[in-house]
Amino acid sequence: MEEEEEAEEQQRFSYQQRLKAAVHYTVGCLCEEVASDKEIQFSKQTIAAISEMTFRQCENFAKDLEMFARHAKRSTVNTEDVKLLARRSNSLLKYITEKNEEIAQLNLERKAKKKKKSEDRNKNSRESAEDGEVENEN
Amino acid sequence: MADSRSPDSNHTPRTLLRRVLDTADPRTPRRPRSARTGAQRALLETPSSRRLSGQTKTTARWHSHGAKSVGRLACVQASGHLEGQTPRTLLKNILLTAPESSILMPKSVVKPVPALQGVQPSRRESSRGSLELQLPELEPPTTLAPGLLVTGRRKQRLRLSMFQQGIDQGLPLSQEPHGNANASSLTSSLNLTFATPLQPQSVRRPGLARRPPTRRAVNVSAFLQDVRGTSLAPRDVMLEDTQPFSQPLVSCSPSVSCSLHHSSRTGAEDAERTIGRRTQSSGQSNSQLQSNSPRKPAQFLSGKEEEVDALALGFLNTSSNISAEDGVEPLQDGFGKEAVKRMEEEGLNVSEVKEATGGQGPARAEKPEGHTEVTEAERSQGAVEAEELEGSSGDDDTSGRIVSQELVSKSSKFLQVKRLRQFLEPAPPPGAAVLSSEPMEPLLARLPPRPRTTSTRPRQDPYRGGLSHYVKLFSFYAKMPVEKRALEMVEKCLDKYFQHLCDDLEVFAAHAGRKTVKPEDLELLMRRQGLVTDQVSLHVLVERHLPLEYRQLLIPCAFSGNSVFPAQ
Repeated sequence: MEEEEEAEEQQRFSYQQRLKAAVHYTVGCLCEEVASDKEIQFSKQTIAAISEMTFRQCENFAKDLEMFARHAKRSTVNTEDVKLLARRSNSLLKYITEKNEEIAQLNLERKAKKKKKSEDRNKNSRESAEDGEVENEN
Repeated sequence: MADSRSPDSNHTPRTLLRRVLDTADPRTPRRPRSARTGAQRALLETPSSRRLSGQTKTTARWHSHGAKSVGRLACVQASGHLEGQTPRTLLKNILLTAPESSILMPKSVVKPVPALQGVQPSRRESSRGSLELQLPELEPPTTLAPGLLVTGRRKQRLRLSMFQQGIDQGLPLSQEPHGNANASSLTSSLNLTFATPLQPQSVRRPGLARRPPTRRAVNVSAFLQDVRGTSLAPRDVMLEDTQPFSQPLVSCSPSVSCSLHHSSRTGAEDAERTIGRRTQSSGQSNSQLQSNSPRKPAQFLSGKEEEVDALALGFLNTSSNISAEDGVEPLQDGFGKEAVKRMEEEGLNVSEVKEATGGQGPARAEKPEGHTEVTEAERSQGAVEAEELEGSSGDDDTSGRIVSQELVSKSSKFLQVKRLRQFLEPAPPPGAAVLSSEPMEPLLARLPPRPRTTSTRPRQDPYRGGLSHYVKLFSFYAKMPVEKRALEMVEKCLDKYFQHLCDDLEVFAAHAGRKTVKPEDLELLMRRQGLVTDQVSLHVLVERHLPLEYRQLLIPCAFSGNSVFPAQ
């Protein structure tokens, strides 16, 4: 039992470390971009600090999102929860809302397309069925 | 001899009495003798003081030099021969033990008292008389003293006259002492001693003097004028919630808020003189509101006033119940102030108000007052949320938010949130919401929409004014003097903090698809604040910080008969 728990913990820990590494890499890339843009150098400690902070903040976000979803009596985290999370900074909220709308539009378009396709198919099938019937009758 | 018969001023009664003691023969029998001229003669009269002659001389010499202490010693030695508790010994003891400085009235009731030194019985009488007189002065706890101390001047004079009568009866007195400086000095000294007990009675004790609370009658006409004429907060900031009924409510809220504002003004003047800001303290303290309640006349706004008072009472009652934490009661008031503060806000939403109704309803359920409270409460809550709207749309700065989050960790804020929670009781009866909406509509119908007289009122002042109480708390807990600018900053931060708080609450409620802020929203808030964690649940916090009464109301507990209170 204890061994299993320890193994699990180790697994989790290694998983965490890999995630942290991924975050660190991403932050490094972003910082490089900004550095080339603004012509400012980033030290390694800065990048490390930012990545650590990002990781911890992501933990907080996750907990908050779960809380918000539970608060709304849902079991799935929704875009509403994300918007609630981002409400503090107006610009971020705007951005997220816009993206959300875009995605919603895309979904609608997709749905519309699907509907059209299915309708066409239905029509075709009906026509063919009618033709078939007519043919049969004939 | 070394006697210098200088005027009275040089001789204190003490010295004179000492002379009396020294010159008097300790064992002389009571015999009527002719009155002597006075101390001078007594001193010169060595044959009268046979035993004490040497001592007398020395004492006389010492007296002339003013060395009382030595004289006292001599007296003590002399008195060693005496039997206990003669007037003489008593007098000597008094002189020994009494403090040097004597409280003497400069003026004395001068009455011709015959010279007593030369005559033994007269001396004795005098000594006794002076003893009588002096006892109250120097030895308060004797039986004579209370009577003498208590009695006024008249009785003192009576006593003197009685004493004089006694003396007159006892002795064939000569009227020489008029001319005799010593006698006069002695008499004056006697008179002086006689008069001294008066002084302690006349001493005023400044500590008991209290400024009477000046109460001004409320100027009703001015009050009503103010209520009608005051400017209304900006309406245009209500952006995010499109509520159909916001307009009419807006009209009622300012009246209530104005009434509150002005009531608090007058209240502040009357009840609390220590608080400097009168005009700014809109929600100065709800205690003011409460004190105002009996004074306000019943007008058509009386309904609102009652609501205001009910709200104030509600806040105050809950605050008075709290004894757990130091800052709780002021926090209570602070929350009330905050709600009052919010009420001044222009952009109200009826829907939010209705939400608040449900929340506030059960909180008021325990009070016997009617649904007017609910209306009032809902308005306050609506104002809270309207304020949030403004706050959210108004300020862009994240710095303020960061500051507010820093303040989150303060336990006092936690308690304040707890207060909020209490007001928004769980399990509101469904009827409350219905009730609230009903009285609201007639109220809305009553008040016509008001025209805007002034443009946007500066949002800062009314709200900041309400936070002065918190700022004072802060300066108290700082345990060191705080700069005024720092206190202003603290007030700003508190303002932002509360704005964010209510902002969050509103958003949480909306997120759950509700229009009423419920305890679940508050629990979520506390979770975000980090007060409620996976290890520490809300009930644990309630148990830790709240008194028993609130715990019973908040934490469902099973009772006999399979009943749970409060019902979930």
